[in-house]
Amino acid sequence: MASLTAALQSSVGRKILTGITGIFLVIFLVVHLAGNLTLFAPDQGESFNLYAQFLHDLGPLLWIAEIILVVLFLLHAYIGISIYLRRKKARPENYHLYKSQGGPSKQNFASKSMAVTGVVLLIFVVLHILHFKYQAFSPETYYTTINGEEVKDLTRHVVEAFQNIWVVLAYTFVMLMVGVHLKHGVWSAFISLGAGNPKKTAVLYTIGTIVAVLLSLGFLFIPIYIYLNGGV
Amino acid sequence: MPTTEQPMNTFKWDSKIPSGPLGEKWSNHKNNVKLVNPNNKRKHNIIVVGTGLAGASAAASLAELGYNVDAFCIQDSARRAHSIAAQGGINAAKNYQNDGDSVWRLFYDTIKGGDYRSREANVHRLAEVSNNIIDQCVAQGVPFAREYGGTLSNRSFGGAQLSRTFYARGQTGQQLLLGAYSALMKGVNSGKINMYAREEMLDLVVIDGVARGIITRNLVTGEINRYAADAVLLCTGGYGNVYYLSTNAKNSNVTAAWRCYKRGAAFANPNFTQIHPTCIPVSGDYQSKLTLMSESLRNDGRVWVPKKVGDKRHPNDIPDDERDYYLERIYPSFGNLVPRDVASRNAKYVCDEGRGVGETGLAVYLDFRDAIKRDGENVIRDKYGNLFDMYEKITGENPYEVPMRIFPAVHYTMGGLWVDYNLMTTVPGLFALGEANFSDHGANRLGASALMQGLADGYFVIPYTLGDYIASAKPDKITTDHKAFEETEREAVAQLDKLLKIKGKKTILDFHRQLGKVMWDKVGMARNEEGLKEAIAEIREMRAEFWENVFVPGEPATYNKYLEYANRVADFLELGELMAVDALDRRESCGGHFREESQTPEGEAQRDDENFSYVSVWEFMGLEKDPVLHKEDLIFENVKLTQRSYK
Amino acid sequence: MSNNETMSLTLKIWRQKNQNTKGFFEEHKMDDVNPHMSFLEMLDLLNEHLMQDQKEPIEFDHDCREGICGSCNLVINGVAHGPEMRTAACQLHMRKFNDGDTITIEPWRAEAFPMIKDLVVDRSAFDRIMSAGGYVSVGTGNAPDANAIPIPKQQADQAMDYAVCIGCGACVASCPNSSASLFTGAKISQFANLPQGEPERKRRVVAMVEQMEKEGFGDCSNYAECEAVCPVGISISAIAEMRREYMKALI
Repeated sequence: MASLTAALQSSVGRKILTGITGIFLVIFLVVHLAGNLTLFAPDQGESFNLYAQFLHDLGPLLWIAEIILVVLFLLHAYIGISIYLRRKKARPENYHLYKSQGGPSKQNFASKSMAVTGVVLLIFVVLHILHFKYQAFSPETYYTTINGEEVKDLTRHVVEAFQNIWVVLAYTFVMLMVGVHLKHGVWSAFISLGAGNPKKTAVLYTIGTIVAVLLSLGFLFIPIYIYLNGGV
Repeated sequence: MPTTEQPMNTFKWDSKIPSGPLGEKWSNHKNNVKLVNPNNKRKHNIIVVGTGLAGASAAASLAELGYNVDAFCIQDSARRAHSIAAQGGINAAKNYQNDGDSVWRLFYDTIKGGDYRSREANVHRLAEVSNNIIDQCVAQGVPFAREYGGTLSNRSFGGAQLSRTFYARGQTGQQLLLGAYSALMKGVNSGKINMYAREEMLDLVVIDGVARGIITRNLVTGEINRYAADAVLLCTGGYGNVYYLSTNAKNSNVTAAWRCYKRGAAFANPNFTQIHPTCIPVSGDYQSKLTLMSESLRNDGRVWVPKKVGDKRHPNDIPDDERDYYLERIYPSFGNLVPRDVASRNAKYVCDEGRGVGETGLAVYLDFRDAIKRDGENVIRDKYGNLFDMYEKITGENPYEVPMRIFPAVHYTMGGLWVDYNLMTTVPGLFALGEANFSDHGANRLGASALMQGLADGYFVIPYTLGDYIASAKPDKITTDHKAFEETEREAVAQLDKLLKIKGKKTILDFHRQLGKVMWDKVGMARNEEGLKEAIAEIREMRAEFWENVFVPGEPATYNKYLEYANRVADFLELGELMAVDALDRRESCGGHFREESQTPEGEAQRDDENFSYVSVWEFMGLEKDPVLHKEDLIFENVKLTQRSYK
Repeated sequence: MSNNETMSLTLKIWRQKNQNTKGFFEEHKMDDVNPHMSFLEMLDLLNEHLMQDQKEPIEFDHDCREGICGSCNLVINGVAHGPEMRTAACQLHMRKFNDGDTITIEPWRAEAFPMIKDLVVDRSAFDRIMSAGGYVSVGTGNAPDANAIPIPKQQADQAMDYAVCIGCGACVASCPNSSASLFTGAKISQFANLPQGEPERKRRVVAMVEQMEKEGFGDCSNYAECEAVCPVGISISAIAEMRREYMKALI
């Protein structure tokens, strides 16, 4: 029997890892979205700031969580890109004419662009962290006082950022890419992790699409609403 | 070895049928055969040619015993041997249905179905081991159809009034072959089997009268190779493609068996050909092969033609009282489930009367209307879905709505290399298994019996009888440097070179088609003296022209499918003549062999047991000389010969 | 359509002498194609024409011509086995095309399926995957009575759905990654659904997956194109099941 590490490097193992990391990243997105939606609590963004402060106060726990997230993310990206790169080796001479048969095939814009959307997300995440975690693109850092304590006013940063149409458009574009990536990604994770039987594969694909649409719309809603509304 | 007291003095070879009561012959024989010490088995090399049910099961079983096996197939993978295409099922006397089945009944039905032209002892052995086959296949993970309670399901087949056929949807052959193939691949994995795919046997190497190896051509590189062995097992299937159009795969051929015939292995009952009643009719002269629709369809489908000659109405517009369900009418007790030869011949009769249907008038209806009404479309779809789909793909018609059109087609050859009870041919050390031999089906094979025989020979007969040969003959070591290898290789290469050099005007296909037409018209469903004589003359002429005017493209040392094809057609052109010669000699009708001169007043086949109760065993005397006929008398001690009646 | 009508076609067919030479498309015009012909019969006819002109015919693999042996392997107009779903190329009929069509024919393309000639490739990698573990190790003669192990109908049917694989390789040919996961998964899933497969299930899945890798097949990205082109319609759930088995083997 192969060792666990060897097994995880096999073609099946790689997909299992992609699936597991993918699922965790989706869970992260759900939590992230839930946190973001506190922006719309009827308290002028106080909940959101509290939520941010709560995370910040976790201290080392947050670091650990962040490290795990980074590892998951990079591992997911690394395996995904390496799978993509292997295809050339597995078919040195390509078809001169190639078409999908359609029907049960899941070859579509979403599945064919996984590598591209994945790379877009990779770049986005770096910028996004710089943007909101470190406010790298803001001239100054805003503070506010909640319950007598001075905390970062992240709400204001967000609202200000999304007054810029270009930022809104960029985020919208990327959130659409998230949706596209997840449309194939969620389904793919299910299959990679061994879910389903012949009668259920169609259901799994539908679930994947629903998750993709909900997350994408959820994240999209924030910049667009703030831009149109001028605030939270 | 004990043999029977039957008078053998007139027959040249010994069929080695063990003595004793029928039911004990095989077990006695197994107890008496010589054994090879397990340590010695690994010193013996066995060649297995062909990887269908017989070949794959033999190779796997012998490798498990410890022999070194070299297995060869012409396909790109052993899994593609034509056994894969068998649809309906496999018989066994399990009596799981509690309908009174037994080894005796399976034996009796098979002997009777074969129109009393097979050996009692062989057929009884086949029936005895039938149950082991099912056990073996289930253990291998063959997903046979099952009942809700988890037990195996059965259906009935033509020529039997019991449900004894095990099946895996309409792909029983595929599943059984994949089972045998998986056992073969297990042997490859353990290093006991060397598998040579895309490697075709061109000739047999005989040294001092004993089979000691083969000459092959690597079909990818064109390389000619020699392989030596202590025994050669021929599991190369049948020769139905001599008719050009048949249900056989395009690459099925007689070459290996034929070359063995020319090296001294006698050929038995070459004319015994099974023409299967339920095939998709020919639609045009471009047609390259015929597709079988499993006989199991006759369980639920009803065969009919219009009562009126030339009734061109749409089948659904013809009311019941204007339809002639002729099988049900003529054979009330078996109805649509009469044996294949009877069903085929009757289809020919109604078409000859001008009542055939379809554009060509060479078809009859197989109608599921009543079964769908009775059981519902879902039940029928569950049973035959894949066959219905296949029919629709080929014809473009939906058989759930319009009756299928079917017509007989060449399907199986009961004849083959003559073998004794041990499956050894008249060349010591050369064995023939499965369809390649002649042994178990007489003049007509019952449905679901081919799979049974292939696996019986490979799994349960040859492991015993081969050991007996090795232990008795004690073959000495030889190498492929022996001059017999050199000589045989030279001859094989010379033939290929000759073919390539002709560069004539006609294509190989032209000749094959032409041969097929003569065979179908004159050595087909009905034969007569005049036609057979004409066929012989025409085939001789065709053969002469072939060697002067055929065009074979390409080079020898490369992948060249048309060179393979030409080499096979060359052999068909010789075999066809022998088949006609054999049919001419047998002036009786029996099973699939229908001599118009020998029929009952009702037009049924009339056997002549007094004069023809023998196996026709032909010995090759040289291409320009007539083959010599030897007669192996068939002795029936246990069954009473009756005129077959399915009425 | 009656038998007398014929179609005209332009065929762009891949020709390649062997693995070491470069391949190219050769164009052939045909005007005597009968719509009732099968696709391979159309190629037969083309070859007849070529040989009547003393030219070298096109090599392609074929055998049973009834969709079960898995020999035929043509990529027709960019799709493995051509435009008709659940149909091997040998069962495809010309009535599915239109008069005047241009049809492009290419071989299976994958590193693990080396070129032999024209449209013929070497699929022996599949045999090696099978010999790595695609069997139940039961010797001849030591099987219990066939009804000794009851298997629920549903389970037997499920095993059969996977067992019908014809080993043609269309799954590999159509996969953007050239993965053999559907082929390998189908065999693993067949045995995973049968009690007979139980004793060796862990060893089997690991060995077969390992061999698949060694042969140079690509990874599976769950495109399910394999299911779409599979002539016997094997579901991608075979691949899910293979991974399930693999995870069980790791635990």
